[in-house]
Amino acid sequence: MNARSILAAAGPAPVWVLAAAAVAVYGTLAQSYGLKLLAIAGCYTLAVLGYQFVFGRIGALSLAQGAFFGLGAYTSALLALKLGWDFARTLPAAIALAVALAAIVGASVLRLGSHYFALATLAVAELLHILAVEWLRLTGGGNGLPGVPGFRLFDFTIPAGWPAALFVWIVVAMGALLAMNYAASLYGDGSRLLRAHPLAAASAGIGEPGRRMAAFLLSAAFGAAGGALYVHTLGVVSPEALQFDVMVLILCMTVIGGRNAVAGAALGALLLVHLPEWFRAFEQWALFAYGAGLLVCIIAAPEGIAGAVEALWRRMFGPPRVAVLAAPAPPSEMAAPPPAGDTIVLAAQALGIAFGGNRALTGATFHIRAGEIVGLIGPNGSGKTTLLNLLSGFYRPDLGRVLLGGHDVTALPAWRRARLGIARSFQHAALADDMTALDNVAVASAECGPARLANILRLPGRDRRRRQARARAFAALEAVGAAASAGKRGADLGTSERRLVELARALVAEPKVMLLDEPAAGLSEAEKHALQSLLRGLAARGIGIVIVDHGMPFLLPLADRVVCLDAGAILAAGTPQEVAADPAVRRAYLGGAAP
Amino acid sequence: MSWAQILVDGVALGAAYALVALGFVLVLNAAGAVNFAQGDLVMAGGFAAIVLASLVPLGGIAVPGLVLAPMVAVAGGLAGWLVAEIAYRPLRRRPPVAVFISTIAVGIMLQHGANGLFGASERRTPPMMAGEPFAFAGLTVSRQSLAIVATAAIVILLLHLLLERTQLGRRLRAAAEDPDMARAIGIPVRRLTALAFALGAALAALAGLLLANVYFVTPTAGLAFMLKAYIAVTIGGWGSLRGAVAGAFLVALFEVIAARLLNASLADALLYAALLAALLLRPQGLFGEAAGRRA
Repeated sequence: MNARSILAAAGPAPVWVLAAAAVAVYGTLAQSYGLKLLAIAGCYTLAVLGYQFVFGRIGALSLAQGAFFGLGAYTSALLALKLGWDFARTLPAAIALAVALAAIVGASVLRLGSHYFALATLAVAELLHILAVEWLRLTGGGNGLPGVPGFRLFDFTIPAGWPAALFVWIVVAMGALLAMNYAASLYGDGSRLLRAHPLAAASAGIGEPGRRMAAFLLSAAFGAAGGALYVHTLGVVSPEALQFDVMVLILCMTVIGGRNAVAGAALGALLLVHLPEWFRAFEQWALFAYGAGLLVCIIAAPEGIAGAVEALWRRMFGPPRVAVLAAPAPPSEMAAPPPAGDTIVLAAQALGIAFGGNRALTGATFHIRAGEIVGLIGPNGSGKTTLLNLLSGFYRPDLGRVLLGGHDVTALPAWRRARLGIARSFQHAALADDMTALDNVAVASAECGPARLANILRLPGRDRRRRQARARAFAALEAVGAAASAGKRGADLGTSERRLVELARALVAEPKVMLLDEPAAGLSEAEKHALQSLLRGLAARGIGIVIVDHGMPFLLPLADRVVCLDAGAILAAGTPQEVAADPAVRRAYLGGAAP
Repeated sequence: MSWAQILVDGVALGAAYALVALGFVLVLNAAGAVNFAQGDLVMAGGFAAIVLASLVPLGGIAVPGLVLAPMVAVAGGLAGWLVAEIAYRPLRRRPPVAVFISTIAVGIMLQHGANGLFGASERRTPPMMAGEPFAFAGLTVSRQSLAIVATAAIVILLLHLLLERTQLGRRLRAAAEDPDMARAIGIPVRRLTALAFALGAALAALAGLLLANVYFVTPTAGLAFMLKAYIAVTIGGWGSLRGAVAGAFLVALFEVIAARLLNASLADALLYAALLAALLLRPQGLFGEAAGRRA
């Protein structure tokens, strides 16, 4: 058994199969009106799949998905009506226009905080709605335009009814395939970590601005495709397609169906399209029910119906193939960087930063050599974590520079520094709860090169980089002694397991420096001993290690040098013995009178 | 209509928007989250006033808004407290985006609940005080416009005194600043957050009573109020109470002037375009960001 086969089945997709079966059964029984509803549900499924990219996978609250849907509808309808284009040309045109709009909006507001992004996307949506109502000569104003033709590909007209519904769902299936590939790629795993823990993702080299943009563009493309399908199914186009109600509907479908699961998109769309039909007597209350469903789901089932079904599946049948995970791992050699002697790998030069009026750090200067373990101690609030954050790039210093291997990296963001060789762990081990330990580690694997979005164009499960990354991740987990945890989900890991998995994630990137924030917190004595020898082994391979910890019995025997911070300045530095004996250090931190 | 007249209308509209925006910021600061139902609470306040007016027995005489105002505020406060308990409390440990979604859900329920109960037609609340408009120097100032400005001024003054001069206000600000620390020193953060939601909703409901006399109310009116308050708070500096009031007047003046030059629909379009431009050029708002990037 090797890592490859161990996690090939990362999770069952029973919901997907059930949904497809339900559609097939329903479709064979349905009359022409039912077939139209089925097709409409397909259109919304595509829009929801798109919304999952930006809302579900990246976690950015866009309120423009309804607008992309409406824009796609208008573009396709107008091109068909005014220029007589067929669907094979109107669909790409609709997608292109929506993507272009998303690129302009995204370039200006994606960098802003989420509350501004939500507002800006909502403003764009309202602008488009007003445009559709006011531009009478093009759009027909409030009444819209009737007589939008059905689907025509080149000279072939797809008959209404069964063939049209089938055509819609074939397009949906193609979109679903792309979405599944995204979810099952190393790139998609990176996005999941990014949504769960932006800082942890950055320290694993993930967080490049292009990733958010790509998700937003994908959402626009899928939204417009859904709208284009919708308008030719319905036969009319009106400003209703651009109302905020469409956005609300897509949001409800996404949250109720499942914000991440491809099957959830189809489930949510099918359910919400048919709900008013099933409760005809209460038709005007259907939207009220959507609101209530949205509220219940966001509180009680944040992963929606699909997530609830998967959790049930896990409870009934257990996590996939845990037993196999105890099997020996592949002998994938971790290429040890050559011991680098006295090279300084990371240097802080007179680093200073203030938060408001509070000077958290004033002119800290120190360095780490390759293969050296430096302990960072000091009272609470003395600036230890602040210093780590400055080194890893979460804060920009007001003063001073950070040098990595002699190069100035002060201006680089955290994810860039991570790719250059600064790894990091956190006080509260930051893992994605819904990913296996193995995948939590694999996302940081730099050896395979940064994961690329283009990988989602391959067939599902064929992401070669993901397989390589998983093999390397397994080796890293073995190296820290946590191979047995590889198949557990982040949520199911114990405290010490989480620590080790995080350490493996730092290790798998083959860093030059590791910055570890209280790595021994919550570990038993035996585990601390194991961690000590593990860290010594890593240092012997040439990695410079900085450890922040309060446990002197753990830190002093381990460290080559100790730096003590107090009130944002370096109080003392030297061998553990020197620092421990320093009168100032004893007064400020270790307690007891100076000898 | 003269420009002076437009200015007068703009000030009255701005005063009502200021109430909505202040309620939005109160919740934003206390809960660190956007209450997206704020606009729908304005709409609900309008309908609550209409219902209350039909319930209050005054022997066939039309009930003035002045009598309804305290009742509408209390009803709004109750609604806000409910929103806090149902849509905020279960999600307070989750990312702010969860509260954003849950309050969108509350907004949907308010909107379609109103639609189910009252239908989609336009309704109108009674005026604060019936009577002829005042006229001087060529200007006509309706009693309702004056009442809106007066009510808003009184409410904003009371709110200022509450926050700055009372122990309750200091606790409210402390709980907003650092909930964990506030809890540690014995401040009942949960009740104070609920109070902020109640106050915010009461302000929204009052604005609904005031505005629905001039502009009517429909179940779908909430989104526009929400957007205007959101924009006011954004250009006024995210989280700043003073900025929210200033932003509300700016938005209202922009709206009435653009509506005079173009039409109401294009005025909205221009407002959204101006907002996008402002976000692009000054993402920190006109007065800086007071609440940080919490939502």
